[in-house]
Amino acid sequence: MNRIIEFFQLAVRQVSRRRIRVILTVAGIAIGVAALVGTVALGDGIRTQAVEAIRTQSDLTLLEAIPGVEGNIVYLVTPTRVSAIEMLPGVKASAPMVLGTFTTRGQTYVQVVGIPSGSLGAVLNPSYLRGSAFSPGSTEVVLGAELGEKLQRFEGVRIGDPLVLLRRSYDARGRPVDEEITVIPVGIVGERGDEYDQALLMDLDLALSLGDGEEGFSAVLIRAEGPERVFQVAEGVKSLGLSPRGSFEQIEAVNRMMDMVVIFLGIFAGLSLIVGGLMIASTMITSVYERTREIGIAMAVGASEGDVMKMILAECAVLGGIGGVIGDLLGAAVAGLLNTLGGPFLASRFGDAFAGLLDTEIALVSWPLLFAGFGLAVGLSLLAGLYPAWNASRLNPVEAIRSGR
Amino acid sequence: MIPPVVEICNLTRHYPGGVEALRGVDMKIETGEFVALIGRSGSGKSTLLNIIGGLDSPSSGYVHINGIPLDYSNRSGLIALRRSRVGFVFQQFNLIPSLTAQENVEYPLFFNYRPPRERQEMAARLLTMVGLENRLSHYPGQLSGGEQQRVAIARALVADPPLVLADEPTGNLDSSTSEGIFSLLRQLNRERGVTLLVVTHERELGAYADRMIEMRDGRVIT
Repeated sequence: MNRIIEFFQLAVRQVSRRRIRVILTVAGIAIGVAALVGTVALGDGIRTQAVEAIRTQSDLTLLEAIPGVEGNIVYLVTPTRVSAIEMLPGVKASAPMVLGTFTTRGQTYVQVVGIPSGSLGAVLNPSYLRGSAFSPGSTEVVLGAELGEKLQRFEGVRIGDPLVLLRRSYDARGRPVDEEITVIPVGIVGERGDEYDQALLMDLDLALSLGDGEEGFSAVLIRAEGPERVFQVAEGVKSLGLSPRGSFEQIEAVNRMMDMVVIFLGIFAGLSLIVGGLMIASTMITSVYERTREIGIAMAVGASEGDVMKMILAECAVLGGIGGVIGDLLGAAVAGLLNTLGGPFLASRFGDAFAGLLDTEIALVSWPLLFAGFGLAVGLSLLAGLYPAWNASRLNPVEAIRSGR
Repeated sequence: MIPPVVEICNLTRHYPGGVEALRGVDMKIETGEFVALIGRSGSGKSTLLNIIGGLDSPSSGYVHINGIPLDYSNRSGLIALRRSRVGFVFQQFNLIPSLTAQENVEYPLFFNYRPPRERQEMAARLLTMVGLENRLSHYPGQLSGGEQQRVAIARALVADPPLVLADEPTGNLDSSTSEGIFSLLRQLNRERGVTLLVVTHERELGAYADRMIEMRDGRVIT
């Protein structure tokens, strides 16, 4: 360890001898690192913004497992799978549900969701604008916020009043027949921002009795233990052959898109880093050439080939390290500039929709990112130094000393 | 019986292109001797020195250092030889310009894996011995030719090798400075018992040595 430090001390001495050339070389690496750090920071910032928006605007820990299709096989939501989901790690609560489509007398479309009354609270976690939950085994129902408002405004439906739902089916001769079911709304759920705002919730048994004899459930509603467990639960659902749905898919989509954007931009930034690496290689080849005699002297006083390689590589690492630190600082500065100037610029350009950008961070600089930038700079410099170092170690000491350089 | 520091048998060195630098050299140098190797340029003196020091390898023949034959195909053996058993002094001084006098003297110890404190102490002691105790932190560019060569001599001695090889150490110095260097070599030879093989083309400087060996056309003639 001490030995490595001493090689670095020697390298710093050598590097500080050629200031202008070192500054230029280091600038090459630094610009590459800065470009990479800036790009990834911007990508991460936008990603975080988007994910945060999804998180706050939607119920992230709520998932639905629907029948999955794999090739020609359909995996239905069977009671076995319902209980298997209950056992998945990360699942806080789950409940089977059935879906049905009805209309009112006023021709309002109603999506009926049947769910066990005991699980309603644990899974959907509804807050009631008015009224309360339905009781088991009754014909009581709960309305989603939007549906409730619509029915009240256009059809005068009120809590406690019977509501007639119609389901259209066709008789043996193909004529439409409307079945009538009377339910009693007992509560209206507060706005959730998802499809349950349009839904009518009822007890699972009631919904099953209304069904037309189809086997199985429509889906399983799942409440994950926390946002960080959602993807694990989704994987678990997939392993059962079912297909997970939920707002986590938006996060997946955002991540996929931002991965593409970051990789694409990163390639361009990476190119400048490669140019930086080539500059290091060029600088070190020149340096080895100029110091041929010095290397010969080192060999004459006892340096092994490995020592010579270490000397040259240590210099490369010093150049790369300086470049990495400066590049990180530049990249962080660029990110800071984007945050202070970019937000207001976008907000003024695109109007109020982007006003949220004013006080948020568009570019996100993280420690792992800075470490990666530094590590990449050092690693690339070492790679660039391999050839010059190898060359230096192969010098013939007699000829090197005689070269006069 | 102590074996000779250097014993050479029928040493030849052919370079590609038909140049025969050494054509069968026999030589024996005893411990503590100060030997001057004289001869015109092209007589093979430098080649002989480089081969003894393990920087170059012979075409045929043997070199024994302290009774042990040198194996020129064993790279690590040659590196070990250069690290601790021979010291080099060159005509061009060959100091590292970016290192101070003291650091230049420390340089061989660095490759000998000595700890920094010990290196500094030994370098300072050697520089004092060659009369440069006031020049420790000077860079080679700030030293005169004679001073630079004294630094180089200190560097050759710092790892305490039994043998020091000097190739025209005064070739770039004026005559009075040259005499100073030779009397320093003489003094170090007497006080430290280091064996010296010094190439020079000036016969009068050879007078400082115990013995003169003359070479011509790749052979020893006296």
